[in-house]
Amino acid sequence: MRQTQPFDYMVKYTQQKNWIDGRGNFIAFAFFLGGISGGLFMAAAYFDSLLGMFIAWLLALCMGVSYMIHLGQPLQSWRMFMKPGTSWISRGFIFIMLFIGLTAVTLILARWAPDATAAITTFKVLAGIFAFAQSIYTGFAVSYVSAIKLWNSAILPILFVVCGFSGGLAIMMAIAIGNNSTDINAIENITRITLIGFAVILIVYLWNSTYSSNAAKAAVTRVVGGDIAPFFWIGVIIFGVIIPITVSVVTYFIGEASNALLLTAVSAEIIGGLSLRYVVLKGGTYEPLTSTE
Amino acid sequence: MTRWGMVIDLHRCIGCYSCVLACRQEHFVPRGVYFNRVLIAEEGKCPTVQKHILPILCNHCKEAACVKVCPTGATFQREDGIVMVDDKKCVGCGYCAVACPYQQRTRFEDPKLEYFPGQGFTPYELLGKELFPYKPGTVLKCNFCMERVDDGIKNGLVPGKDREATPACVITCPANARTFGDLDDPNGEVSRLIFEKKAQPLHAEFGTEPSVFYNKV
Repeated sequence: MRQTQPFDYMVKYTQQKNWIDGRGNFIAFAFFLGGISGGLFMAAAYFDSLLGMFIAWLLALCMGVSYMIHLGQPLQSWRMFMKPGTSWISRGFIFIMLFIGLTAVTLILARWAPDATAAITTFKVLAGIFAFAQSIYTGFAVSYVSAIKLWNSAILPILFVVCGFSGGLAIMMAIAIGNNSTDINAIENITRITLIGFAVILIVYLWNSTYSSNAAKAAVTRVVGGDIAPFFWIGVIIFGVIIPITVSVVTYFIGEASNALLLTAVSAEIIGGLSLRYVVLKGGTYEPLTSTE
Repeated sequence: MTRWGMVIDLHRCIGCYSCVLACRQEHFVPRGVYFNRVLIAEEGKCPTVQKHILPILCNHCKEAACVKVCPTGATFQREDGIVMVDDKKCVGCGYCAVACPYQQRTRFEDPKLEYFPGQGFTPYELLGKELFPYKPGTVLKCNFCMERVDDGIKNGLVPGKDREATPACVITCPANARTFGDLDDPNGEVSRLIFEKKAQPLHAEFGTEPSVFYNKV
């Protein structure tokens, strides 16, 4: 790939690199894990799956690790609690910590004090609130950046939440298949609606971006036809949308699908979720500082 | 209240990079990090080629996006408008660098980069590491030479008028393209230039209210 030349900043749309290149990739991974962890917890709480909640908790821990790897000074990370008033990263850090703590309490109570149903329900609801917050904050952290027009969209937090929820449902489906659970049909039904919602929101987001500004239009052009187009078309569209929706439609008509087919859809959704974060972060471009035109 | 700002006359700038060099010398800026850049682009074909020169630096915005997004409070704004980074608090998350519309922040990654690769650090670089021990993994940026400004004021000097109290890039410019001063002083040189030459900041539409203005007329 061509190296950015100094004058590119002046006259061309330049790609943001801090949150995608090198160690910046871990931010994309952390955002993905945050979304899928939140989505999985919400699904697991609804279907009352202790294993699902435990995996969501593990994924949230992995998100924290991914964050730490990204940071230049990880030992100072406790300072990230300091400015929740204005910083979405600070707010997100608090959400993650509360989610991890509340989920741990829920899991401990459910495992060792199953009779304390009132306490379990209370902690589960609180953890669910922070699971949602953890899932949506990544979208807000990105959409707050007004300098990058592709990101500066109110649709983005919704897209990230729906994507995280569909990924969470996918893992929940895998758990249900593993346990031969009777919830498979119910999970399939919710997944079908979520996937269609995800596809619609994705199209609206990209379409809306094309006329919000020239910079966003240039970024969308790059996403759908430029150097990151393979990640978009193969990762997001084929794996994230077409394969899971096709499997969903097939299962709807044939009534019962094989586990192999469902697991294919599960894997595809997870790949799609990761690709979406990568494409959005990689697609972020700044306006030229000035223009010679 | 004082608010330090700068006016850059693009008609006077000759693209000599002396501001860039003076800045690097003043702050012992490590290789790979830029506090000050001069962007030069050419447009058109001979014989109608046009050359465009744009010196850029941190805009020390009044409504700085970097200050708002910083999760630790490492990026803060002084009362005189200068935006600073406290490297003891910076965790290197890069949110400020992402949020800056002017891309004027750099995460300092590799302290082993030499100016002359493979030849070891020069005595000048070694001295710089003692005087300015920049922490790897933190974000660096222009500070409007606040050391010069603060020391100058302490000694009764006036930033923008007295050399010792004025940023290095301003006093070095051979074309006198840069003017430094108090934006809140309606009778000051900076305010006069902004008014007379209709100077504009870069990307005013972002609403960050930059303190660096460019005269293009």
